Amino acid sequence: MKDQKTLAYINMFAILGSIPKLCKECKEARDLIKDDKISLGFSVKNGPQATLVFDKGSCYMVEGVKKCNIKLCFSTCEKFNGMIDGTVTPIPRKGLLKVMFLLKKFMPLTDILSKYLRATEEDLKDKEFFNISTLVMFNVITEAMAQIGNHDRVGKASASYITDGNVKIEITGSESAYITAKDHILTAYHTTPDTFTSYMSFESIELARDLFDGKVNAVAAVGLGQVRVGGMISMVDNVNRILDRVSYYLA
Amino acid sequence: MRKINDYTKSRDFFARAANVIPSGIYGHQGPAEGCYVPIEAFPFFSEKAKGSYIWDVDGNRFIDYMCAYGPNILGYNDPDVDEAAAKQREKGDCITFPSTKMIEFAELLVDTVASADWAFFAKNGNDVTTMAIMASRAYTKRKKIIFFKGYYHGVSPWTQKIDYSGIIEEDVCNNIYLDWNDFNAVEEAFEKYKGQIAAVISQPYMHGNFKDNEMPAKDFWQKVRKICTENGTVLVVDDVRAGFRMDIAGSDHYFGFEADLICFCKALANGYNVSALCGKEFLKSTVSGMSYTGSYWLSAVPFAAGIACINKLKKIDAPKILIEKGAKLKNGLIEAGKKYGYDLRVTGLESLFYLRIADDPTLMLHQEWIAECVKRGVFFTNHHNHFINASLTDEDIKETVEIADEAFSVIKNRHS
Repeated sequence: MKDQKTLAYINMFAILGSIPKLCKECKEARDLIKDDKISLGFSVKNGPQATLVFDKGSCYMVEGVKKCNIKLCFSTCEKFNGMIDGTVTPIPRKGLLKVMFLLKKFMPLTDILSKYLRATEEDLKDKEFFNISTLVMFNVITEAMAQIGNHDRVGKASASYITDGNVKIEITGSESAYITAKDHILTAYHTTPDTFTSYMSFESIELARDLFDGKVNAVAAVGLGQVRVGGMISMVDNVNRILDRVSYYLA
Repeated sequence: MRKINDYTKSRDFFARAANVIPSGIYGHQGPAEGCYVPIEAFPFFSEKAKGSYIWDVDGNRFIDYMCAYGPNILGYNDPDVDEAAAKQREKGDCITFPSTKMIEFAELLVDTVASADWAFFAKNGNDVTTMAIMASRAYTKRKKIIFFKGYYHGVSPWTQKIDYSGIIEEDVCNNIYLDWNDFNAVEEAFEKYKGQIAAVISQPYMHGNFKDNEMPAKDFWQKVRKICTENGTVLVVDDVRAGFRMDIAGSDHYFGFEADLICFCKALANGYNVSALCGKEFLKSTVSGMSYTGSYWLSAVPFAAGIACINKLKKIDAPKILIEKGAKLKNGLIEAGKKYGYDLRVTGLESLFYLRIADDPTLMLHQEWIAECVKRGVFFTNHHNHFINASLTDEDIKETVEIADEAFSVIKNRHS
C-alpha cells in the first residue's frame, strides 16, 4: 500500500512542483497565466507545505505558505492526495474571492499537466508534444526520487547507502538535473551541476522516454552504450533503486 | 605504445544477446553490474582461455586478473584438474547413484579444512550460504542473522536488501546490519536481541565493492567467536570468494579462529561446478535432517576435478605463492603510479587485491586508468577485488606493470 505521506510529498513537489517546468516548456500553459500575478499555497497537516507563485506567464514554487494570496488547507495527506487525483475539491481558506483563479486558471493548468503526464501513444506522435511531455516527466521523476528517498521507508533504506555528493542525471544534449545527497537526505535540482560525484546519461530524449515508460531496461541499455554511468557508481545503483519506486507511486 | 583493442564482434554479439536474454549479459559478468566504464573499453564475450590468459571473440588477448571472478586458481584448463575430470567423465557424471568420488572429496576437505568435520556439496556459493543460514536457524530455533555492511553472500532473498527488486520486507526483516570491525555494535546487538540471534555470517575480511578492502581489527574475530559461543549462536564464515587464496585450511584458520560453518565455491575445483559447506560435528545431525538438494549437486565430474584441484593447491602451497605473486604485482603497480604522481591504493590480501586511485574521490580517474589497461590487454575491473592464479608468471606481471605504466601516462597526459 502506498504511503500517503510520501505520496503527498511527491504530489506537492514533483507533480505540482512540475507546473513551473510546464509553464516554461508549454505555450498553452504559459498563455493561461500570462496576466496573473498571484500565489497559491498548499498546506497539508503533518505533511508538505508549498506555494506556487505565478508572475505573468512564469511560475515558481517555494516551500512554506507564509506569503500566499490563496491558501488551500488539507487536514490529512489523504485529502491532499485526493485533490491531486480529482476525488477531493479544494476550498480556499484565505482569499475566498480569488476562487475564480482556482477554477479558471489553476484547474485548467492541472488539466494541461495531466495531458502531458498521462500522454497517449497518439499524443506522443507529435514531436513537440513528445518533447514537452518527456521533459516535464523528467522533472517529475527526478523530484519524486528525492521525495521518495526522504520519506518512503524503502526509499530511505536506499538513501542510507548513498554517500555525500551529486548524482548528475542527464538527457544528452537536452536536459540535466542532479540529486544531492548530504547525510542521506536527498535534494533534487533541476539544472546542470557545477561538479558531480557520479552520473547517469541517457543518449537521447527518445531513449529517456522509453526508459520512463518501461519499454527499455536500463541494465541492457548500459551494455548497448545507450545509458552511461560513471564515477561513484554505488550512488547511481542506489538512486536507481529509488527510481524503481517512482512508478510504484506514480503508476 | 601498445595496440588498442577493437571489440566489434563483442558489440555485435551483445546486440544479439540483448534480443533474447534479459539485459544481454546478466549479473556480475554483465557490463552494468561489472561497472564497465566506459563501455567501449571492455570486451563482452570470450572465445577461449588458457593459464592466465583469456581471448575475446575479437581475438584480443588479456592477462586476466578476474579469474572468472575467482574460480580460476591454478590457471585456466589446468592439465591435472582437466585430466581428472576427463577420466571421471568417461565413467559417468550425473548418474542415478552418486559416485564414491563424493566421499573422497568430502574426506579430502575434512582433512584439509581445519574447522571441518563434514562436507555437504552443492553447485554455487549461494547454495551453501543459504544452507548455512537454514542450518543455523534449524539448530538454534532462532530467526535473526547478523551481517556486516558491504557483505555479499549470494542472491537469495535473505541476502538482499529491502530496496532490491523482487524483495519483500518479510525476506529481510530478521537481518541485522552492523559495521565491519565494530565489536561494540556486535555486543549491543547480542544484548538487544538476546536469545534471538541464530547466526553471524561474514566474509573473512571486508572485501566489499566500491571501497578499499579492510582486514579484521586485532582480536576482532576472536571476540566474535567468543560472543557467538557464549550465546549459542552459529558463526558462519563465507569463504566463497577468499577460500584457498588465503589459507588452504580455510580463511578462519588464517585469522586464528574456527568457524562453525564455512562456505566454499569458486576456487574449490578450478572452474568445475561445485560448492561445499563444511561444518562442525555438532551441526551434522541438523544438516542431515534438512531437505536441501539439486538436480546436479551430486555429479561426479566436479568432485573429481575438486579432488585434483585441492591436492594440487596443497602440493604447491598455493596460498603462499599466490600471495607472493600478488605482492610482486602490487609493488609494481604502486611504483608505476608513483612515477606519474598517482596514489594507487592496493588493499586486501595480495592474492585477491583491490585497486583504487586515491587522487580522485569520484573514482572517475580510476575508471579512466582501468579502461586504458583493459584496452591494452590487462583485464582489471573497476570496483571489485581481483584474483591471482598460480599460472601467473613473472613475465605476465612485468607485462602487466608495463601496460599499467602506459595507462598511467595516458591519463596523466589527458589531465595535464
